[in-house]
Amino acid sequence: MKRLLGVALGVLTAIGGFLDIGDLVTNAVVGSRFGMSLTWAVLLGVVGICLFAQMAGRVTAVSGRATFEIIRERLGPRASGTNLVASFLINLLTLTAEIGGVALALQLASSVEPRLWIPVAAFAVWVVVWRAKFEVLEDVTGLLGLTLLVFAVSVVLLDPDWAHLAHTAAAPQIPATEGAASYFYYAIALFGAAMTPYEVFFFSSGAVEEKWGPKDISQSRINVLVGFPLGGLLSLSIAACATLVFLPQQIEVSTLSQVVLPVAEAGGKLALAFVLVGIVAATFGASLETTLSAGYTIAQFFGWSWGKFRRPSQAPGFHVVMIACLLVGAGVLMTDVDPVRVTEFSVVFSAVALPLTYLPILLVANDPEYMGDQVNGRVLNGLALVFLVLILAASLAAIPLMIATGAGA
Amino acid sequence: MILGDLLDAPVYADGGQLGFVVDVRLVLDGPVKGLRAAPRVVGLLVSARTGATFLGYERTDTNAPALVWRYLAWRHRGTFLVLWEDVVGVTGGAQRGTGDARVDLRPGFRRWSPALAPTGTGSRP
Amino acid sequence: MSPRVRPRPPVPADLPELPTSLRGAGRVLDARLHLLDRQILDVDDVPVTTLDDLLVLTADGGELTTGEQPAFVDQLLTGPVLATRVFGGRPPASRWVRIPWADVTDVGVAVTLGVRGEGLDATWVQRWLRDHVIARIPGGRHDPG
Repeated sequence: MKRLLGVALGVLTAIGGFLDIGDLVTNAVVGSRFGMSLTWAVLLGVVGICLFAQMAGRVTAVSGRATFEIIRERLGPRASGTNLVASFLINLLTLTAEIGGVALALQLASSVEPRLWIPVAAFAVWVVVWRAKFEVLEDVTGLLGLTLLVFAVSVVLLDPDWAHLAHTAAAPQIPATEGAASYFYYAIALFGAAMTPYEVFFFSSGAVEEKWGPKDISQSRINVLVGFPLGGLLSLSIAACATLVFLPQQIEVSTLSQVVLPVAEAGGKLALAFVLVGIVAATFGASLETTLSAGYTIAQFFGWSWGKFRRPSQAPGFHVVMIACLLVGAGVLMTDVDPVRVTEFSVVFSAVALPLTYLPILLVANDPEYMGDQVNGRVLNGLALVFLVLILAASLAAIPLMIATGAGA
Repeated sequence: MILGDLLDAPVYADGGQLGFVVDVRLVLDGPVKGLRAAPRVVGLLVSARTGATFLGYERTDTNAPALVWRYLAWRHRGTFLVLWEDVVGVTGGAQRGTGDARVDLRPGFRRWSPALAPTGTGSRP
Repeated sequence: MSPRVRPRPPVPADLPELPTSLRGAGRVLDARLHLLDRQILDVDDVPVTTLDDLLVLTADGGELTTGEQPAFVDQLLTGPVLATRVFGGRPPASRWVRIPWADVTDVGVAVTLGVRGEGLDATWVQRWLRDHVIARIPGGRHDPG
């Protein structure tokens, strides 16, 4: 059991990263419109985040420096300041969406209006951030988030034509009803969702919270290799469920209740209960991850004391930033904005933050001053450079495509 | 004088501009204050271009990732070290309250290799 | 496991190496590469602030204008300088927060001081936030969990 819980950080990072409210709906939208033909984008994203999270985890374990501190030290104030602004806005937007997502999920479970749940959700997130131990936070949320595996179970229960599914995934074609611009917009959205910068900020800061040292490099690696592929599997399961239920009838998915419909169809009330627990846990986990990330990045940029392992009175700036973010997020939500649409805008900022986050990680992972003899090998460097090019391409194409397709409409 | 004023300051000698200061080399052999010897300015690193040199690829052992190293080392080829004794005028921003600084070198100054010593100097133990 | 640091191809050999007599007898650090923007930690490894700049003076603390006199780093500088480092310009001397070099005990990936961060000017924002915000919320002084 201890072993299982030892991967909680990786699982939570992945769930908060690619199964937040925006991604839950996006995966279902993709499944309902494109079938499994965008599987390659998810797989590419999973490989990319595994590569870089592994590097970031190793850098933190050996040098004790968290990722945003390294960005500040390597890029200097101007470029890292730009990254900070972009990353902070992503965090804030996503955090807002997640709290809204928790409220939506609780509405599904209770039929109580989301507006009433919003303050409750925001307060609950704050209480956990304020008082709970980091290990408890990640273990509980990570474990409960695993109930999302019911999506994978549902795919099996829906008795699909496996050969056909596999074929559409392996030999992708843009469906006749869709344009190439939308296809690639969603490809970038899926790739970007898997590689969102706050995942590495959270993972590396979490490594410091857990006090990983050079001996824990293999632990870090296991976290990465279990957590992120699992996130990818869940993403694909959600898409597959939507493919099986919505694609044949060309039904457009846009709400959370539609996302869970296939599960109810496949497994009835019991499955629905599981998936609701899973969605509440995933959105709550994503709220925690983005809130903490906002605190980590600002505190690390300014050199303040940070960390949940410290008392709030010993890391005041860190906690004040998070409280402010939660208040802003809850405030915005009370104006009835749709949480899912909010996440669409974070794609724009991701485009800026992605290259400015991953280049420094690659550079420091090669620097013997930080890493001693744990620097990258040649193969890893080669792969990482390829991904850096992909990331740059995605970041350049994201905004034009978003404008051209009206955010994937 | 604020050290940051020197960074990216233009360097002149014999009437022409040689480049910009990209870094300042210090050595810990000054009078001991507290527990550590105070850093003494050894010299200035001058390059034809300004800008961050990231890991100082043109000065250190780091040579990976290969493509990044080649590009940055090429960009800052021709970087040299000039000793502090060869600096004849430094007008820094502190006196004028702006960031405008310039460095003037003595006519007979010598260029030295910018390499940091090969055995892990400036690194953690 | 074999070390992964690969032997480096030689630096362009057209420039002579600095002879030991001129190199100085201590550890060599390049300011921008090894010092600026680094984290400053206090004696308990608690973060204090970032190292934003350095004050360089002559041996007896006077201003510098030429290389005739040796120059030494006297103080670490930090403070409300972010805006100026990003956009340009220089804040007036009174706004700098100064930490004397004498307080430094180690320079590695971060700069470590031998004093506690509590008493330093550099952490006054944190103290203010603590006293005026955190203290008003119950539970702030307890360990998490």
